[in-house]
Amino acid sequence: MKNIIYKMIAVLLIFTVSCDDLEKYQLPEANSIPDETPPVASFSAIQGEGFEFEEWTLYQFTNGSTSATMYSWNFGDGNTSTDFEPTNMFPGEGTYTVSLTATDNLGVSSTSTQEVVVVEPEAPAVPDPVIVNGEFVKLPKSSGSDCACSGWINRDLGEQGESSTASGLDVVKFDNNEPDHIYQEFEVVPNADYLVETSIRHSTTDGTMPSSLEIRVLAGSGYEAGYTPVYYTDTAVMPQGNSSTGYWGYRSIAQVENADNNLKIQVLDNPGNDDYNNVVFSFNSGANDSVVLFMRGIGGDSSGNYGYNSGNEEIRSAYVIITAVEN
Amino acid sequence: MKNIKYIKFLFLFTIFFTCEDFLEPAPTSVVSSADFFTNEDQLLAAIANMYDGLQGANDTSSNSNHATQIEFYVTEMRSDNTRSKSGEGEAAQFDDFNVQPTNGLVADHYRSFFNVIFRANTVLANLGVASDENRPKFEAEAKFIRAYVYFNLVRLYGDLPLVDRVIGIDDTDISYTRRPTADIYDLIVSDLLAGVENLDNSNGRNRASKAAAQALLAKVYLTRGQNYLDAQNLLEDVMNSGYMLEPNYEDVFFNEDNSEVIFAIGYQSGQAADSQNFSAEWLNGVGRTVGVNYVTDDAKAVMLESESAGDIRTGVSMREDLIQPTQTQVTKYLPDGDPGGADGKTFTFDARLAGNDWIVLRYSDVLLMHVEAIMAGGQETNAASALSSFQAVRDRAGLTDAVTNITKDELLLERRIELAFENQRLYDLVRFGKAIEVLGAFALANGTNFSSNDLLLPFPQSEIGLSNGLLNQNPGY
Repeated sequence: MKNIIYKMIAVLLIFTVSCDDLEKYQLPEANSIPDETPPVASFSAIQGEGFEFEEWTLYQFTNGSTSATMYSWNFGDGNTSTDFEPTNMFPGEGTYTVSLTATDNLGVSSTSTQEVVVVEPEAPAVPDPVIVNGEFVKLPKSSGSDCACSGWINRDLGEQGESSTASGLDVVKFDNNEPDHIYQEFEVVPNADYLVETSIRHSTTDGTMPSSLEIRVLAGSGYEAGYTPVYYTDTAVMPQGNSSTGYWGYRSIAQVENADNNLKIQVLDNPGNDDYNNVVFSFNSGANDSVVLFMRGIGGDSSGNYGYNSGNEEIRSAYVIITAVEN
Repeated sequence: MKNIKYIKFLFLFTIFFTCEDFLEPAPTSVVSSADFFTNEDQLLAAIANMYDGLQGANDTSSNSNHATQIEFYVTEMRSDNTRSKSGEGEAAQFDDFNVQPTNGLVADHYRSFFNVIFRANTVLANLGVASDENRPKFEAEAKFIRAYVYFNLVRLYGDLPLVDRVIGIDDTDISYTRRPTADIYDLIVSDLLAGVENLDNSNGRNRASKAAAQALLAKVYLTRGQNYLDAQNLLEDVMNSGYMLEPNYEDVFFNEDNSEVIFAIGYQSGQAADSQNFSAEWLNGVGRTVGVNYVTDDAKAVMLESESAGDIRTGVSMREDLIQPTQTQVTKYLPDGDPGGADGKTFTFDARLAGNDWIVLRYSDVLLMHVEAIMAGGQETNAASALSSFQAVRDRAGLTDAVTNITKDELLLERRIELAFENQRLYDLVRFGKAIEVLGAFALANGTNFSSNDLLLPFPQSEIGLSNGLLNQNPGY
């Protein structure tokens, strides 16, 4: 009996030892030579567009992996897929670690991992433009005394509107028989509609040449070649359109009056009362990301340095407000 | 002994002075490219040579460069608009999103257009013989052609070798190094800016013009999804340059040199060297194929639906194949405008030598790009200037109902119909970010297999082979 046990053990041993030897002589099969073209996993994620069905949470994945036949996706939100190019709807905003494991038929695999940051895109809203000193408060200018016109001076185009008060509030005044103006550049979204609101008072009719207030919205495309607008918020550093303070984008009345440069022209004649009358009009910014609001008194003769003058009456403006029109 | 020294010196000097002239004489009996360009007329010949390259050869040799004449295979037939009639052979690989790196048409296309880039670079290398007055114009013209070709190539193949000068066979570091698309686009934009600055609109519609450079640059900006305001300004400039919609849609294609066309590749009827054969290939057994670029059921349904709303473009753009009524042919480029008799294939002239120009840019494309620029990547617009551009295109088509709002999908559909079979559809789908969605659904409906990798063509296997391992294939091939 003992002999038999020994014999069995001996046979077992032979088997154990010889198995290894046997494998050496097997024909090459799986994994017997290195994988010359191992897979390389690669992918990208494209966010969907739209809000109605929260399409922005739906991501399309593209697969740029090479030398692979099987794909396993983990989207980091509990969802998985084995499609070549799956889509996944994420539960909401957040950062998800997405991984793609690409495997070939030899069992060699490669994994690529990316953080996908899901953020709800901002609905394309047009912001209200920033108007500096739209209430015509007496503020410091870059030269000279404080003025309700501060922030609104371009000496290439006229003389400054002056400070005045009405019911204790600062207003800007366009003198009679003078080329007074106000001018300000501001940033807009192209092709958007804007509403301009202002309050205007003409003095009592007096004389043969009545004053009208002309309001123009000028296109930034009409700026002097090479000019880039700068949107100052501090009136004390603003150019005033001369050599000591610097120049604006419009340099001459001819440029102002060129029809191609005008997005809107409103002319307000004397209504025959001396109240502050509200004026509202709209304009579209067209192919511009910068525009100008320009106002001047007209109706007088064409003498003087600027070729225009206000008529016989003073005109005052209490404020200017510009807002984006909601579509 | 002294004498010998002197004689040796003399020999040295003699050798020194005579070597260059003696061993590299300028050939007197033949012309070589190195010393060909000596005057402006010769440079003008090099400029004509660029357009000749774009035309491509009208023959059946697989070794020829067919250029624009085979462009529809790699663009329109890879979209949901057209397919081969038989569904067989190399052409059908485009129908099924199953293009192989060994596809001969892809190799032909790649080779043809890099050859045009070589021709443009040849002009640029020899500007020295031009007068000071003409040099900037010639330079801008060559740069426009180079940009036009690169813009098509970069959208079809992705990262590309950046060849901005004449290169030789040893410049493998240039010819086989793929540079990122951003670098290619930098070259395209700078070339087109030169075109906008130095070209004018005086050379006719078959040569580069300022308006063509402006429209193309706008399309580049839209494709990159940036500079929307610049694009809008460029387009509005073109809109103020005297181009207009041809009142009758059919005349756009059959009244050549009309004022809607901004840039077209010119062909001459009946001349083997200057004619084209794609007009014949699109018919049933008129060209050497049995018929390619046939209308898909998907496009047909869309076109017919629009026709039922009064759209006159459908009838101009396609017709039932008169021999095989289940099939639908493209009719925008009927050979020299001839419908081919009762069976649609009988011509009194050689239809394979057609003279129809290939329209690259036309005014309605500009108007629709204008809408796209105003949309500026958004989902819709109701800006008045966008509405008026859009309305003008639709009014001409007979769709006069007033448009009050335009969505991105409506714009894409309008482009599909207005510019149907003009090799725009694939680029439009990609630019609008709809390619994966639309082509994925199209492939599913047709039982074929589409992935985002199919949006780029494979690099020709021959190029990969020649590159000795330098060129990497696009993913998925």
